[in-house]
Amino acid sequence: MGSAAHDLTHSGGESAVAATEDQPVSTGQCVDPLGDPFLRTRFALPARPGTFLPRHRLNQHLDQALRTPLAMVNGPAGAGKTLLVADWAAGLEQPVAWLTVEAEGKRPGMFWAYFLQAVRAGGRTLPEGVGGPTDADHVDQRVLSAIAENLEAAGPALTVVLDEYERVTAPEIADQLEFVLRHAGQGLHLVLVTRTEPMLSLHRYRAAGELTEIRDAELAFTPEEAVALLDLHGLTLSLAAARALVERTRGWAAGLRLCALAARESPDPAAYLKEFEADRSTIADYLLGEVLKRQPEQTQDLLLRVSVLDRFCPDLVNSLTGRDDAERILTDLHRDNAFVERLGHSWFRLHPLFGEILRTYLRVHRPGLESELHLRAARWLRQAGSLPETLAHGAAAGDWDFTAGALVDDLAIGQFFTGLGSDDLTGLFAEMGPEATSPATDLVRAARDLARSDFQHGLAHLRDARAHPATDAGDPAAVQLSCALLEALAARLTGSPALAERAAETAEDVRPELPPHLLDKHPELPALLLTHLGSTRLWAGRFEDARVALSQVVGAPGRASTVLAREESMGHLALIDYLNGWPAQAEHKALEAVSETERYGLSPPSGSGIGQVVLAAVAVDRDELGRAEALLDEAAELSVAPHDPVTAAGRAIVTARLQLARGNAPAAVKAADPDVSAAVASPWADSHETLVTSAAHLAEGRPEQAADMLRQLADDQPSCAVEAARIQLAVGNEEAAVDLLDRVPAAGRPGPAVTVRATLVRAQAADAAGDADAAHRLVAQALLDARREQLRRPFLDAGRWIRPLLVTAPLNELAAGWLTPGSSTRTGPAGSQPLPLPIVVEDLTTRELEVLQRLAQMMSTQEIAADLYVSVNTVKTHLKSLYRKLVVNRRSAAVRRGREMGLL
Amino acid sequence: MRYEIRVEGHMSETLAKAFPELEYVLMSGQTVLFGSVVDEAQLFGLLARCQSLGLRVLEMRQTPE
Repeated sequence: MGSAAHDLTHSGGESAVAATEDQPVSTGQCVDPLGDPFLRTRFALPARPGTFLPRHRLNQHLDQALRTPLAMVNGPAGAGKTLLVADWAAGLEQPVAWLTVEAEGKRPGMFWAYFLQAVRAGGRTLPEGVGGPTDADHVDQRVLSAIAENLEAAGPALTVVLDEYERVTAPEIADQLEFVLRHAGQGLHLVLVTRTEPMLSLHRYRAAGELTEIRDAELAFTPEEAVALLDLHGLTLSLAAARALVERTRGWAAGLRLCALAARESPDPAAYLKEFEADRSTIADYLLGEVLKRQPEQTQDLLLRVSVLDRFCPDLVNSLTGRDDAERILTDLHRDNAFVERLGHSWFRLHPLFGEILRTYLRVHRPGLESELHLRAARWLRQAGSLPETLAHGAAAGDWDFTAGALVDDLAIGQFFTGLGSDDLTGLFAEMGPEATSPATDLVRAARDLARSDFQHGLAHLRDARAHPATDAGDPAAVQLSCALLEALAARLTGSPALAERAAETAEDVRPELPPHLLDKHPELPALLLTHLGSTRLWAGRFEDARVALSQVVGAPGRASTVLAREESMGHLALIDYLNGWPAQAEHKALEAVSETERYGLSPPSGSGIGQVVLAAVAVDRDELGRAEALLDEAAELSVAPHDPVTAAGRAIVTARLQLARGNAPAAVKAADPDVSAAVASPWADSHETLVTSAAHLAEGRPEQAADMLRQLADDQPSCAVEAARIQLAVGNEEAAVDLLDRVPAAGRPGPAVTVRATLVRAQAADAAGDADAAHRLVAQALLDARREQLRRPFLDAGRWIRPLLVTAPLNELAAGWLTPGSSTRTGPAGSQPLPLPIVVEDLTTRELEVLQRLAQMMSTQEIAADLYVSVNTVKTHLKSLYRKLVVNRRSAAVRRGREMGLL
Repeated sequence: MRYEIRVEGHMSETLAKAFPELEYVLMSGQTVLFGSVVDEAQLFGLLARCQSLGLRVLEMRQTPE
């Protein structure tokens, strides 16, 4: 990536990418967090025109920037800052990175993505690990650390110039820059070119002698310099005349230049200069008026028209003027250093000072032309393949059919769902009124509503999009593919597998009709579609089919725009593993899902939270209940689509299991209902809900109801069948239990979470039947299987019968260190640490022991509290925890158990 | 809030249109822009506009309603 971008920066005419000369975009895979290609002109040193006057004193002062971490060139528009620094930077022997800040100054994630790209364009190869932010609004601290570390470690110091830094308005960015500056040590020289005082703690840098500072007074031209400058413009001036001129303009570069131009065009330059000195108009206004009215009419017209553009090339300008003289006029203007700056690759921009004034002139002199110009620009940019600019100008023109059509035709509708650009797109289309009725505008409305989980409106707009006859404009295949994506999402959110399959088929059918380069450009589209398809299949219980779709997403090469789809797919695959009883695999995938987003510095609110739900599920299986709860809270905060059936069902199951493990049966029953409305029932979600309810009945001493519940249970889920068997056994239906176990299909390759539980049920059955040998053997097998996965829950759920077994040899050895407190680390599996949380016969804390002793003395909770000088609530907490450790639920039982164990 | 912004030099009628929300008056080598300002954000926006038009701000003050 580094070298490709490198080629693009060093401007000059001999560009290796001449074929794309008219496109302001870089080639290759470099895209910003919104998935748009970086504009290569943003990373190029602006070219110096022939009339540029190098000023030695300033270059010399700037050389000090190579000895300080921070330099700042601060002056008003038109003070000549940019060209000064560009000229200085071009002469450096050290590597230089250049970034002209634009709108990304408002959004830290975007800013750092551009910063990183500038560093790459400056020839610095950054390791793959520096993924760069993918969220437009946030940047992860790790990304900043990685940047600083890399700058500090590698090669000669890099000089990074941030031009137009006044556009950085997000206060975080200044802090982040200071952080990088501090940690990059000698590796970074930062040069800020700005009109306004930056929000950095400049006084500290100044006091430490770490700031090179050039301000307005120093930028101002001296009379001698003014003479030299005017000489470059072909005007000879006495020093005295120059002094008067400098006084009038206060040495302002733009003022002097315009003055030179106006004087040169006038019949008597000397008289003109005299007149200017005496005039009392505002300088820029007066001079611009003077210069403009002396230009040929075509030039005046061109200047007014290009004022709607941030940057332009001759062909684009011709499309605005309807003539073909742009190249000549722009070249002339640039040579005179009047109005336009050259960005390289035959791209220009208006000098920042004049853009605003010229736009005002345009509105006054050609009312109504502005939106027409935006539309022409949008049309040209669409041809050139620059989508973001097309959309911006289309929206500025208020032509929504065109703008939405451009978005859909480009296959970019998925960007509403990548969590990155959705805000920008929503903002862009915020002004769109109901009068626009093309299918594309309905698709945009549907995407906007679905992206914020507003089904009713989203689905209605989707129906409208289908109903409207296709217009001539736009590619019907693109409309169909976009429609398919939204329908797949709608199908996922409404739990309708048939709809999802149909959407996927439509997508497959129309793909061949679409230009391959567009499909390549938008990997997020198929990734999102397959994620929705996989999620819907998973909901319907078709795990293997779901896996096929989801694996395709995960297997595709990672790109910033597909991060969310990949994370979600990985999270769904993790859920499948968990439901099949493979907690370690599930945990691995869920962690991978979470770290995928972290690698890209994606901020939490973008994730779906399914990874956290799976991690919480695994934590419950391992009896790490506090951790499980924390993860569930995290998932609840993340969830951007609270009605997504799969995530909601997953969260319901885990929350219910957590409550069961805590002994809170009513809460478990309440939590088990995922509260989603889906077209099709989900077998696993229903089974788990039934099971939790049944287990809750059992826990509360209602075995009949528990057994009744199980009759409603479909038997296609191995994990559910095994747990049902445990409940049947607990309520005394041994035959039913063994029968259930025998029917568990082996073909599904159930994992240890299932097999351990199954083995324990068999062991319990054997124990009840008095077959002690078999019970021993089976428990040993369960311990062996469970140890690697740290599966503690099944043993805790097994009931009281297992406890005597666990203290006998050799089972005590197998359980020691991870399930029971034990000194034996000898038998622990290699590489795994004995866990700090011994469970079954967990030691009581001193405080819990004190509470237990007072329980034995028949003291009430209040009395214990008073006696121990603690609050009643604290005593209750101790009670709860000692009940749990002693596996009892009443005081008398706790005392009895305490006596049995010799604690009292 | 009402504000007036005093800038150096006489603004042309065209340039004054860059501040459609304000009235203006020319006096002794200066232009005074005045009118009501919604909030501070707008105030800073006006200042930034002055800067990007190359205007030199001499004074800015709040005036009684």
